[in-house]
Amino acid sequence: MKKQNPPSIRAYVTVRVKGVKPELFLQKCASKGIPIWDVKKIDAACCEATIMFKDLGALRKLRRNSLYKVSFAGQKGFPFFLSRLSRKKFLLAGIFTGFLFFFILSNLLWSVHITGVPKEIEEKIETELEAFGVYPGVWLFSLATPKDIQRQLLNEVPELLWTGVQLQGTSLQLEAVEKTIVEEIPPGEPRDLVATKKGVITNMYVSRGRAEVSVNDYVVPGKILVSGNLNTEEGEDNTETEEDPDKPIAAEAEVLANTWYEVHVTVPLQYQTEEITGNQKTKHYLRFGDVQLPFWGFKNPDYSHSQEERKEQPIHFLKWELPFSYVSSEISETEKTDEERSNEEAIKAGVEQAKIQLLNELGPEATVLSEKILHEHIEHGKVELVLYLSVEENIVKEELIIQGD
Amino acid sequence: MKKWQQRIRSLLMEQFSLPSDVVMEMPRITIIGHLHFYIENHQGLALYTNEELKLKVTNGFVSIKGHSFVLKMMLPKEIMLEGTISEVIFLNHEGEKED
Repeated sequence: MKKQNPPSIRAYVTVRVKGVKPELFLQKCASKGIPIWDVKKIDAACCEATIMFKDLGALRKLRRNSLYKVSFAGQKGFPFFLSRLSRKKFLLAGIFTGFLFFFILSNLLWSVHITGVPKEIEEKIETELEAFGVYPGVWLFSLATPKDIQRQLLNEVPELLWTGVQLQGTSLQLEAVEKTIVEEIPPGEPRDLVATKKGVITNMYVSRGRAEVSVNDYVVPGKILVSGNLNTEEGEDNTETEEDPDKPIAAEAEVLANTWYEVHVTVPLQYQTEEITGNQKTKHYLRFGDVQLPFWGFKNPDYSHSQEERKEQPIHFLKWELPFSYVSSEISETEKTDEERSNEEAIKAGVEQAKIQLLNELGPEATVLSEKILHEHIEHGKVELVLYLSVEENIVKEELIIQGD
Repeated sequence: MKKWQQRIRSLLMEQFSLPSDVVMEMPRITIIGHLHFYIENHQGLALYTNEELKLKVTNGFVSIKGHSFVLKMMLPKEIMLEGTISEVIFLNHEGEKED
């Protein structure tokens, strides 16, 4: 037995049938295939029944050939509700503006909370944030990603050691840790200078302390280069003086040494370079699941080679993240060129690359004195090089002198 | 002719144990307590008031009596009645009665 509940999502109407034996008219309708429910007999010549709105035409057709009169007693169902609602324009407008209001407000940044740093750095961070567009009242999807904010903050505010940026709903939680500049060894503490690498000393500039080595000496890591202990073995007789020269001092010196490195580099003979020409186009989309709906910038630029950078921002309503998000993609035109070089050129490039690589590791103070190709090997369109580089660099490391009392 | 057909039908029903409502073209009636009356395969509605429902079936009529009747559903060959049922009478038959 199947029971048909009146589906309220669909439109249905209550009709009143008048005439002699109205149930017979309803039976006729039923045998024509019109589903009827909730039939009530009001009096001998009047019957009330409910039918689907879409069957009304069929009912009218049947009525035309009969003596019955059909009137409407009521309309129910969701579509009627909608049509009634659509007549109340102001109510609809009110609901719409209300939602719009909520929508706008829940996509604004309301507050920025900075924790973990003293007041003056907090203010510094605030001005810095304002400079790159993070302040209360700004659109959430025009905001840079927390990662970018973190990176920029660390770059711009040197006092910061670490920042944690988290977007919680409409407020930005920014946790920062101040850099406490701790010198590895407090200045003035007695110390020695030792070698960090093996090499041949080329130059020494000792401003304080006693040199233990001289130019052209070969040193190994850990070897004391400049001692803070001014006392030589034979200087024991000085201990009685009031100024206490016996006490070790903080040695200060720059010791340049010639060091050697073996560097392996691989250079392809054929290579591709990609350059951004400067032509670019930004497109804006509204993304819903897998569907992207462009709403600004419809045309695809006719770049033969391009590079696309996508930025995605979720859209919020109150505290919920809506299933669609705003996506902006920046398409930049690029130019690709295939280039080829000879073996000599490749080797030259390899040597340069090796130098740059090494200097990156050693810091700006180091200079490459000479380079020597130990081995070169061409295979599969690549040149493999083993280089021997001689570098002049500062090899000094400070080491505290531990004093026994 | 009609009698002969009827005999064949009863034979089929007994020998192949086919459901009687299909073979004999008879209505299937389901009654739930005194609340619901559900009929399938009827031939048409003859009378409906708040106290009585008379339906045409093969070989006669079925009359349901009670009060506060509402036809919950009307489909081409089915009717569901809701209300308080007091009696169900088969008319023009051998005078069978069913409650």
